[in-house]
Amino acid sequence: MWKGLSLRLRLTIVYAGLLALLLTILGATFFVDTRNLLIENTASYIRATAKPVIEHWLYGKKVSEKNRDIVSEDYLRKIARFMARDLTSRNTVALVLDKRGKILAIGKLLKEEPAPPSPDPFYYRQALSGENEVTYILSKNDKHILVILIPLRSGPGSDRVLGAVQLSSPLARVEAILYRHGITLAAGTIITLLLGTILGLLAISSALSELRQMIVTCQNITEGRLDQRIDLPARSDEVGQLAEAFNKMVERLEAAFSAQRRFVASAAHELRTPLTAIRGSLEVLLRGAQDDPGSVATLCQGMYKEVVRLGELCEKLLDLARLEISVNVCKEDVVLSDFFESSLKQVKLIASGRKVLLEKGPYVSLKADPHLLKQIVFDLVQNAVQHTDEGGRLTLGWRLGVDAVQIWIEDNGYGILPEDLPRIFEPFYRGKGVSGWKKRPEGSGLGLTLVKTMVEAHGGKITVSSKVNEGTRFVIELPYR
Amino acid sequence: MTREGFDVSCGSSRKTQILVIEDEDTIAEFLKTGLKYEGYGVTVAKDAVTGLDSARESNPDLIILDIMLPDKDGFEVCRRLRRRGTSIPILMLTAKKEISDKVEGLDAGADDYLTKPFSFEELLARIRALLRRSGRAVKTTELRVVDIVLNTETREVFKGGKRLTLTPREFSLLELFMRHPRRVFTRETLLNRLWGYDYPGETNIVDVHVSHLRNKLGDKPPRLIRTHYGVGYAFYPEEGD
Ligand SMILES: Nc1ncnc2c1ncn2[C@@H]1O[C@H](COP(=O)(O)OP(=O)(O)O)[C@@H](O)[C@H]1O
Ligand SMILES: [Mg+2]
Repeated sequence: MWKGLSLRLRLTIVYAGLLALLLTILGATFFVDTRNLLIENTASYIRATAKPVIEHWLYGKKVSEKNRDIVSEDYLRKIARFMARDLTSRNTVALVLDKRGKILAIGKLLKEEPAPPSPDPFYYRQALSGENEVTYILSKNDKHILVILIPLRSGPGSDRVLGAVQLSSPLARVEAILYRHGITLAAGTIITLLLGTILGLLAISSALSELRQMIVTCQNITEGRLDQRIDLPARSDEVGQLAEAFNKMVERLEAAFSAQRRFVASAAHELRTPLTAIRGSLEVLLRGAQDDPGSVATLCQGMYKEVVRLGELCEKLLDLARLEISVNVCKEDVVLSDFFESSLKQVKLIASGRKVLLEKGPYVSLKADPHLLKQIVFDLVQNAVQHTDEGGRLTLGWRLGVDAVQIWIEDNGYGILPEDLPRIFEPFYRGKGVSGWKKRPEGSGLGLTLVKTMVEAHGGKITVSSKVNEGTRFVIELPYR
Repeated sequence: MTREGFDVSCGSSRKTQILVIEDEDTIAEFLKTGLKYEGYGVTVAKDAVTGLDSARESNPDLIILDIMLPDKDGFEVCRRLRRRGTSIPILMLTAKKEISDKVEGLDAGADDYLTKPFSFEELLARIRALLRRSGRAVKTTELRVVDIVLNTETREVFKGGKRLTLTPREFSLLELFMRHPRRVFTRETLLNRLWGYDYPGETNIVDVHVSHLRNKLGDKPPRLIRTHYGVGYAFYPEEGD
């Protein structure tokens, strides 16, 4: 049920609930405290006004004589009426009780003076046992009456208690104040709660409405529309950051997907050409060209060439696929000088007569897959050979960079046209060829793609610089670790 | 697969000329061999510039044009040819299946369009259709050799004015022979062309059909359809040896 509600509703409910709880606790505490304070105030006021009257009647001029019995019970009985009357006012009515709790006198005379409640034995016994601060509130048909009991002692500070005075005062005024207070508090609470909830709802909605937009965008992307982006007004909060991070992620996904799509399209094209040639040649042979030995020879040679090309293409595609899931990278320590010494013979073989120069760098050992490293170097050398005249020169070498080793393979061949240069690492891309080339090199155009993938599988990168008719230089940077 | 209809202007003095503009060697080679075998005259150009020159000089009856050329793309070549005002039918070849390519090709002025890999027979059918539409091929529904008349439309055969009843295979066999007089067909080739490239049977079924055809033509002893021992059969329209 709760889980079924939208985030917006849930947040609002929690928010409003907490607000209500907070306001209620605050309001209730405030209300109770105020009430106690007011009652206490009233009680102390009554006590304060009663005290001199009682002392005047009981002790007269002997107030300062401590710890002495001054008055007797009889005396109390005599003055009880006068004292009660003196203690009674429009708000307060006094009763004088004797030692046993019998009422000696009632102060009420006038009609407008409130009627005194009958004394409660539980409390007057406390007062008669000598307790000074006996105060309680009596509820009488919805009216509250404050009752104060003051013990009457035989002398100031004496332990002997002769009786007690009960002062009672209705709390009507206090209640009126408290009522006004309560109303204000309740109204304030409700208004705050309403306003808070509405504002909270608005804030949450505005934060979440953009999440809604993100949800819609996500759904579109799931349906394959990768060009979709979340378009939010610039904001730097978490939602804005989420949108930005999300957009960046989709950007990368889109790039990866379109690269993948381009790759597949190119691969299909590369496969279609030899397949067309083979299919057509076979059909022509079957239709009757098989009866002419000359045609058989040319067509078979053509088909053979195409099948070889298809085979190589498959091989390279497989290499690429294997590298892409990088299962075949087994790194070990490779000492570069040893690596180049041992490869030099094969490099010279591939170079078929071209001069090979090795520019040795300092001793360095790196973590790399020696087989892949060899394939990288051989592929680059092969390219250099393909694009260099027979009398050409190849230069291989290495040096230490800041946090990577630089390895270069350079030739002084035909170079690469500026318009080809940024594209030669693309799968299936073959250069247009510089005039002066004897013939267009045959190849799949996957060589450099593979090299780049192999370099990147090592966490490195490859760059190229070239000048037409002067030469080409490939530089590989491999991190030490 | 249709195994009938070889609209080659045989007998007429000039062969139908086809210009192939294609840079892939093997494809160009099989097109040349195959089209020549079917009786067309073929010129091959390996790039757009040579192709354009060749189109101007030799004025071919049809151009087969690859879209991917090393110097210019096929659309551009097509546009240039049309701007020159030639009405030569152009058949485009492309490795892409995209509709946009087709639309662009037809916009550029191509008359038809084939996607690689295509079947050679399909290519031949398209060539015939294009030639017929452009009126460049002599419309030959009737083949005549001596006293034999073969109508490719009504599929009727008359010999000396008398109507012959032939099975569809016998009809195709006769048509093939009449279109390529004096060409020696091996049994394998005849089997491939009449029964399909993947027919699993033996070649002696060809001998059976040839003998039936000879009977129906009254070619006994064989003079029209002669046996080349150890090789196959050929059709000789002339009387006498
Ligand atoms: N050393 C080089 N000198 C000149 N051009 C080069 C060199 N290496 C590569 N290229 C260009 O880069 C293109 C792509 O090379 P590559 O990916 O190795 O293709 P392939 O597998 O066909 O050899 C080549 O067709 C060529 O134009
Ligand atoms: Mg290469």
